[in-house]
Amino acid sequence: MAEFGATPWGRAWLKTIETSNVAVPNSLLPKARSIARNDGVTSLTIQAGRIHATVALRGITHAVQIQLPPWDSQTSRRVAWLTSNARAGHPALAPGDLPDALEADLRREGIGIAVPAEEQTVECTCPARRTHCVHALATLYTLAQRIDERPAIAVDLRGDASEHATPPDPGWMSLSAIDANDFYGTSGGRVVDDEVSDLLG
Amino acid sequence: MPVRLVDLDAAVPALRSLIGEGRAACGASVRAWRDAVLLVDADGGDEAFANLAARMPVAAHTVLNPEATAIATAAALLEQFRHAVATRVQIGSAAVRAELRPYQIAGVAWLRALPRVGGGGVLADEMGVGKTLQAVCLLATRPSAGPHLVVCPTSLVGNWRRELARFTPDVPVLDYHGSSRALPSAVPAGTVVVTSYSILRTDADALAATEWDVVVLDEAQQIKNPDALATRAAARLPATIRLAMTGTPIENRLEELWSILNVTNPGLLGNRARFRQRFAAPIEQRRSATAAARLNGLVAPHLLRRTKADVVADLPPKQYSTIACTLTGEQARLYRREVDEAFKTGLGSGIERRGRVLALLTSLKQICNHPAQFLGDDDDLGLAGRSGKFDRATEMLNEIVDDDDRALVFTQYRAMGDLLSRRLTEVLGGAPIPFLHGGLSAERRDRLVHAFQHDDAAPILLLSLRAAGFGLNLTRASHVLHYDRWWNPAVEDQATDRAHRIGQQRTLNVYTLVTGGTVEDHIARLHNSKRALAGVVSGDTEAALADLSDDDLRNVLQLDDERLT
Repeated sequence: MAEFGATPWGRAWLKTIETSNVAVPNSLLPKARSIARNDGVTSLTIQAGRIHATVALRGITHAVQIQLPPWDSQTSRRVAWLTSNARAGHPALAPGDLPDALEADLRREGIGIAVPAEEQTVECTCPARRTHCVHALATLYTLAQRIDERPAIAVDLRGDASEHATPPDPGWMSLSAIDANDFYGTSGGRVVDDEVSDLLG
Repeated sequence: MPVRLVDLDAAVPALRSLIGEGRAACGASVRAWRDAVLLVDADGGDEAFANLAARMPVAAHTVLNPEATAIATAAALLEQFRHAVATRVQIGSAAVRAELRPYQIAGVAWLRALPRVGGGGVLADEMGVGKTLQAVCLLATRPSAGPHLVVCPTSLVGNWRRELARFTPDVPVLDYHGSSRALPSAVPAGTVVVTSYSILRTDADALAATEWDVVVLDEAQQIKNPDALATRAAARLPATIRLAMTGTPIENRLEELWSILNVTNPGLLGNRARFRQRFAAPIEQRRSATAAARLNGLVAPHLLRRTKADVVADLPPKQYSTIACTLTGEQARLYRREVDEAFKTGLGSGIERRGRVLALLTSLKQICNHPAQFLGDDDDLGLAGRSGKFDRATEMLNEIVDDDDRALVFTQYRAMGDLLSRRLTEVLGGAPIPFLHGGLSAERRDRLVHAFQHDDAAPILLLSLRAAGFGLNLTRASHVLHYDRWWNPAVEDQATDRAHRIGQQRTLNVYTLVTGGTVEDHIARLHNSKRALAGVVSGDTEAALADLSDDDLRNVLQLDDERLT
């Protein structure tokens, strides 16, 4: 099993950094792989069109941000249509997964899942001058793994943020959503009783 | 803030009686829960509960999640409450003859809710928490939805039948096992068919022809290999609820969990190759925390696991279980031959009779233990598959060790201890499993006891009942297995107390292995019912048996085909 790019979805992203059509292989790649392998990417936040990461190397942490152009609306509609078709054809699909056939369909139609390196806008707090420093490369390796684990990320990353927000677990509410002023429900206690008496006749 | 947990049985009537001044003195939270009780009593609908949830004060549902980042919503807690109360009523009307502990009620409520989350689930409570009783309650509380099927290892078929008869005597049980097995063309609703994985393999078509209501797959490690015939046959069984039970959902590899869930919840984890890409490889090869969390999120709604530590407040200091074992064909043949020959030759009278009865009893007990102990042929044939009791004990001990627990195993026979030591060392694959018996020097015995109490090498200690009768302190064990019966409760209790000392925090599980239909079974029932046969209850079983007439004695000793399985 490939460590990076085990699925076609992750592999598409891997290809943006491991292109085979350059004469001299990028000498930073082994180092970047090693950072990713050893949990050097200590946080990775993936939103539509944007990736934030913190990368620790020899005790020094740098912040990486990679911005990605979203699909235009026509492409987005096409992807949504192909995706729902593919889902319908794979009713037993596990949550977070997408059928590999969809990746093949998108490729056939010339819709890129991954953003080529030159179209990525990379910022890193490190002083290196290359656009893809070792921190950015480690971030992309880790991204490929996350996408292998949850292929749906690949599509969410290029779409509209509002469409793909993961629904919160309905059984739980976040602590920050609690209104401390009304914690004990001191207001309206009588109303409760009245309503129940109505209900029970 | 001090918190007191009150059992539902006490809380519900207390809330119900909260009227007049008492009600006015309570906070809005307590009043909201009283309203919940009234709504349950009035059989309120979803809308009424939704309204109540909307106006419940936050304090009434502030139950923190394990990460302490969120609290349960009022709607979720009310839903659980409705199901817990309804489950109590259901268990009551199904006439289950057992006192269920609160966490067991919660377990039954969870099982009964499975159809609402797709119909499949894994009950993965740790051994000793009471999985079987919870599953029996599920079957008993669904009497009219269709017939039920229980698939278990051959060594457990007898145990299942007995547990069903004990807890729910009104539920009809049909054995589908043995060479003369037959399945009616239409199994009546509510009937529980008990069969084994080996029958499931050979009779896959016949079993798949019935629309089952509940299919229980006990000891689901049996379907951990997705290519195995039994796994594929289990996946084909049509059922409303598919329940896998195992104390060890993952023994070695994550793919075992995939295999089990692929039977109970097809599609939940995707196909096998994808599962490997998305979860097994990331988690096993690079310890991916994100993949593990994601897998946990997918599986959690469909898998219930409570450890003994989770439910410790609900458990008594000692928990006794009788484990019914099944005779193999080889054992049954040897057993019948010994009984027939003894009575044909005649047992004589007086002191001679005592000697012969004792010799016969010893032979029969050895056959129940293992044919190799009786025949002394352990070098020629393997040990597995020849004794139901031996295989069952091996499975149980394997599971105990998997849970990082420790066990004491008592036998009265030196030869049996040696066989167990050999087999367990082989199966557990660690340090040799030691056997403490009278043939060892006092110094050597001390070393074994010390090693069990202080080292981590061997998690199991085998003991001869005689050698272990005095002065040993083996409190590190949380399980005690009596491999064969001493037929003297006082001696067995003394052995059990090696592991149980006053002040011990954990529950001690005490298992007695009894082979169904044999003299072990007869005597165990005599003990339990405290019926006459003077001497049996007080301890001197062998002498009491020698005093019986030939006919009475034969009734006690010969195989009871009804209970053989």
